[in-house]
Amino acid sequence: MRRRTREVFTGWLTVTPALVVQVIFIYLPLIWAFYVSLHSWNMIRPMRWVGFDNYIRMFETPDFWNSLWVTTLYIAGTVIPSVVIGLFLAMLLNIEWLKGKGVFRTLFYIPVITSMAAAAVVWGWLYEPNFGLVNYFLSWFGVTNIKWLSDPNYALLALIIVGVWKRVGYNMVLFLAGLQTIPRTYYEAAEIDGATPWDKFKNITLPLLSPTTLFVVIMQFIASFRVFVSVSVMTRGGPAKSTQVITYYLYENAFRYLKFGYASAIAVFMFALMVVLTLVQFRISKKRVHYS
Amino acid sequence: MRRKPHIIVRAIVILVVLFVAIMINLPFIWMLVTSFKTEDAAFAIPPSFLPTIFDLRNFVKAFQLIPLSQYVVNTLFVALSVTFLQLVFNSLAAFGLARLRFRGSNVIFMILIGTLMVPPEVTMVPLYVIVKQFGFINKYEALIIPFMSSAFGIFLLRQFFMGIPRELEEAAIIDGASRMKIFFTIILPLSKPALYTMALYTFLAHWNEYMWPLIVINDAKKQMIQVGISQFVSGWETQWTLRMAASTTAVLPIIVFFFFVQRQFVEGISISGLKE
Repeated sequence: MRRRTREVFTGWLTVTPALVVQVIFIYLPLIWAFYVSLHSWNMIRPMRWVGFDNYIRMFETPDFWNSLWVTTLYIAGTVIPSVVIGLFLAMLLNIEWLKGKGVFRTLFYIPVITSMAAAAVVWGWLYEPNFGLVNYFLSWFGVTNIKWLSDPNYALLALIIVGVWKRVGYNMVLFLAGLQTIPRTYYEAAEIDGATPWDKFKNITLPLLSPTTLFVVIMQFIASFRVFVSVSVMTRGGPAKSTQVITYYLYENAFRYLKFGYASAIAVFMFALMVVLTLVQFRISKKRVHYS
Repeated sequence: MRRKPHIIVRAIVILVVLFVAIMINLPFIWMLVTSFKTEDAAFAIPPSFLPTIFDLRNFVKAFQLIPLSQYVVNTLFVALSVTFLQLVFNSLAAFGLARLRFRGSNVIFMILIGTLMVPPEVTMVPLYVIVKQFGFINKYEALIIPFMSSAFGIFLLRQFFMGIPRELEEAAIIDGASRMKIFFTIILPLSKPALYTMALYTFLAHWNEYMWPLIVINDAKKQMIQVGISQFVSGWETQWTLRMAASTTAVLPIIVFFFFVQRQFVEGISISGLKE
């Protein structure tokens, strides 16, 4: 009995430090975000209760809709290429006879582990309109003088390319893990039946990989939804708000215009979307566990 | 044993793999080359992939123009502190959740893991206010204290701890060892790979952190490296050779380090599938 009591005591002792940190610095701010979103507040004067005014104003502000639209475009532009290229890279590195897989996996993974801020500075140089490497390569194909980061038609595309580049290695590793669960014997059996590589991909790889693919898509969706650093370093939401994604809109309202109430309403809206996404993802990862 | 495909097919595949490896790393290659060029050479058309200077001139200038060495020291201090604290906080919580039976442990697990659903962007405004109340603005406490524990770390360690066979502790229990003694003498020594993986992730995440220091640190001397190298200072915008030298300082040590520890990383994400 004494031993039991001691175990309970030790149990609480072990979890309390982490619990205190997470409650104070994550749950408390989360609840407070709801509270602040119902007020008008600039941190200088006291909070003023405004009810749902911030939310109403949010849905009436064209800039908010613009940020949602830009975020949607960014997600649409990043998810498919980064998942497809990630799968392609994984399949390359899953080839049985290929030597040096470990080295290539490491090389493909480098953008994932480097900081987005430094990468964004480097990409700023690559996108430089007159002396940048990107425009130099494009000049071989007769395309000249694209002002990547200062032309509203191209700035978001420039960020999408960076986003895909940064993330393909991560998706590749998830796909590699998925590919390794597919038994080689399936392919061997198909070969005996005279299946072409495309048949094998379509009828074995894709169906058996579908739980992984769904998981990768959702993870990529969440990551794209949260894009911030590249925007902050490379375009600051411009030109003409063409890259003002929702996180940057939130950041500017909070820390540039000090509209803390309004910014909190945006944060609550983002959180609601995140919860939906995460629940979908949990559903899928549960399925994934049952599958294998 | 399966037959290898024709030599031409193999050659094409190897060329594709090599090409992809170079293209993916081209930005970093270009960064490194530019940081060893004179201003004129950097703006030459057609661009050359050969460096023109063979000393650290650009690095020296960059270190003079912005307090780069200060940034490195600051960021090392913060990232190492967070890593150390997370090792303590996360392994303790993971031990309790994986190895001890007490009422409410399931609920606590849900509470601790539930924070994975809360992206930092959502809480940044109120967290800023809380950190300000504590008087942490412009102090390293703002970058360390809120991040002493993480859902990802707890989850990773808990999974690992659960896999350690119970029999290993039974002898110690018969000898009358306390739970904490079992934690220190049996669980922790056996969990070195998991602790190592978690420490690497945490260090890297905080070395690379940009958004939060951008918000809570305004004092240039106390800034973290990622914000420091990406913010503009006068005349700095177009000095690409210097900016590339600064970026190299922030990136190259991490890439070199990664080559030594890449297995832990890649295996870590395929196990958990959780972390970037």
